[in-house]
Amino acid sequence: MLSIKNLHAEIEGAPILRGINLEVGAGETHAIMGPNGSGKSTLASILAGREDYDITAGSVTYQGKDLLELAADERACEGIFLGFQYPVEIPGVSNLYMLRAALNARRAYHGEPEINAMDFMQLINDKVAHVNMNMDMVKRGVNEGFSGGEKKRNEVFQMLVLEPTLAILDETDSGLDIDALRIVANGINTLRSPERATILVTHYKRLLEHAKPDYVHVLAHGQIVQSGGPELADELEEKGYTAIEAEQETA
Amino acid sequence: MDQITPAMDYYLAEFTRVERNLPGADKIGEQRQDGLRAFTAHGFPTVREEDWKYTDLRPLSKHTFEISDQAAKLDADTLAACIPEALDAYRVVVVDGHFVADLSQLSGLPAGVHIGSFADYLNDNAKASIQHPLLDKQPGSLVAMNAAFVTDGVHVELQRNAVLDKPLHVITLASGSEDERMAQVRHRFELHENSQATIIEHYIGVGELAYFTNAVTEAVTHANAQLTRCRLQEESPRRGYHVSVLFAHQERDSRIYNHSFDLGGRLARIDTHTWLGGENTEIGLYGVFIGNDRQHIDNHTRVDHAIPHGTSREIFKGVLDGRSRGVFNGKIVIHQDAQKTDSEQSSDTLLLSKKAEIDAKPELEIYADDVIAAHGSTVGQLDEDAVHYLRSRGIDETGARAILTYSFARELVQMLNMEPLERYIESTLMTKLPGGELFANVV
Repeated sequence: MLSIKNLHAEIEGAPILRGINLEVGAGETHAIMGPNGSGKSTLASILAGREDYDITAGSVTYQGKDLLELAADERACEGIFLGFQYPVEIPGVSNLYMLRAALNARRAYHGEPEINAMDFMQLINDKVAHVNMNMDMVKRGVNEGFSGGEKKRNEVFQMLVLEPTLAILDETDSGLDIDALRIVANGINTLRSPERATILVTHYKRLLEHAKPDYVHVLAHGQIVQSGGPELADELEEKGYTAIEAEQETA
Repeated sequence: MDQITPAMDYYLAEFTRVERNLPGADKIGEQRQDGLRAFTAHGFPTVREEDWKYTDLRPLSKHTFEISDQAAKLDADTLAACIPEALDAYRVVVVDGHFVADLSQLSGLPAGVHIGSFADYLNDNAKASIQHPLLDKQPGSLVAMNAAFVTDGVHVELQRNAVLDKPLHVITLASGSEDERMAQVRHRFELHENSQATIIEHYIGVGELAYFTNAVTEAVTHANAQLTRCRLQEESPRRGYHVSVLFAHQERDSRIYNHSFDLGGRLARIDTHTWLGGENTEIGLYGVFIGNDRQHIDNHTRVDHAIPHGTSREIFKGVLDGRSRGVFNGKIVIHQDAQKTDSEQSSDTLLLSKKAEIDAKPELEIYADDVIAAHGSTVGQLDEDAVHYLRSRGIDETGARAILTYSFARELVQMLNMEPLERYIESTLMTKLPGGELFANVV
């Protein structure tokens, strides 16, 4: 589904990604872990179409298409979803308004008619229960006045409504208490299916206990330095990132 | 002044041409002469005057606008397009400065409510006067011009305890046909004790020719009365010159909520003078202005707190694109006796292009010592992180920008609390934003 080859990227001349290689197949869940500043969030942002970075080498292919040629909104319409590490507040644009506009944009992109109001509200009602949000929150401005945990739950709520083919969650688990973490993990698990794939970018292992990945990758200094199964997360927990980085340097 | 004299010669001649047809008996004629003298002595305001520093009327004064002796015929579609869907309202239609009874809808008015033509009021009422006695100081040479030439408008009077059960929708339309015309209209709303009304003043231009709408609205709210006024301006962005002045006088415990939406006009100048002349009066001045291309929109407000325990709330939001220019000058005067005044003012502007410009100036004069007077002003651009966020959900860039731009002004639309009108304004506003028409009906 997603094939990243030798991806190099920099921001204002400073290299951040130095040759990422990653293959994600349909039905798979990948976790990308790594210390702060390793390039995890940059990778997530680039996949979602953030334009602040210069891609200096490499390629990204998504479902046979050159992903880097597509604008952020086109990628979303093609089924990619990014759960933001720091979701923005947009006062004045309600969550409902945004989701309906987003669903309709997607439908227009695929030449389908707009969703009718009844079906839309039915969909919202179905999904809102999954993330323990209420309709008052949904009617409020996007993330307006939401706590950190509420913002992350709102990201998962949007993901459930938009039903992406490839979901990329950037530290959606950071700053959550155990209850909120379970809600987030539950949302991720709900979406799992043989046609979809998920990339979990995370700093902590705890999320992976509730949303078990098929593969774990360790990112350091802009490269994937180690890949393995879920057991790699345990190893990281035990040894810490510094050990991994040290191993990498001596290797 | 040299430049302006030929213009004044023209308007003196125009007055002579139309004088006999203007409404009102001798006494009104004298008031018109006073207005004409004041207007021609001063001429059109110039940028040398402090109040007009940012607004150059030379493009306006180059035209020779004529008073139209009758309303142009309107086809049904033109009028229908001006009426918000599902808005249940009484209706008055003023075309080219003339009240058109055929197009108006005033049947079933509640007891104690009078709604009629301002010309009829001037003609039929022995005590009539162009200026309401409680509003006898009306500065400004364009206001004097209006007093000289006024042809018509709507006259609303609510007796004690009367309540207007539905909003009154007053459409002031410039047909833009035949000649370059001016409409000198005057609306008066007088609400006696405990009465309540909602009035929508709606200005629209539809034709191909340049035109000038010079409107004066007088609002008097007696004790405990409440007026909600929505002024919705959709003049032609290329050919419409729009000047609108509100003079308001409030007696004790009365409320005026004034919502202003300037979505059109080649040049629009809006003056608001409100006098809080009784204890516990409240005024809300809310304004949205949207400019593009070379539009120029100038809002001047003045709130006079004369008596203790007055409250004023003022929020203005502007969105300027292209080479458009906006002006906000918000003056608040808290007189010496006006202790315990509570006033807040804010003006926020979104500049969507590098060539757009705003001059925003709060002006506070405070002569009392136990008051609250808060004010703030911001100028900014769209939040690019928010643009990206919406795009990452599938909304294209122009759509994301339109949605965010509208969201900036949305709070003031929702404050109207009249759904059909909110929807009308929302879709009109969205279609003015590039890419916005696709998202006009999403909510």
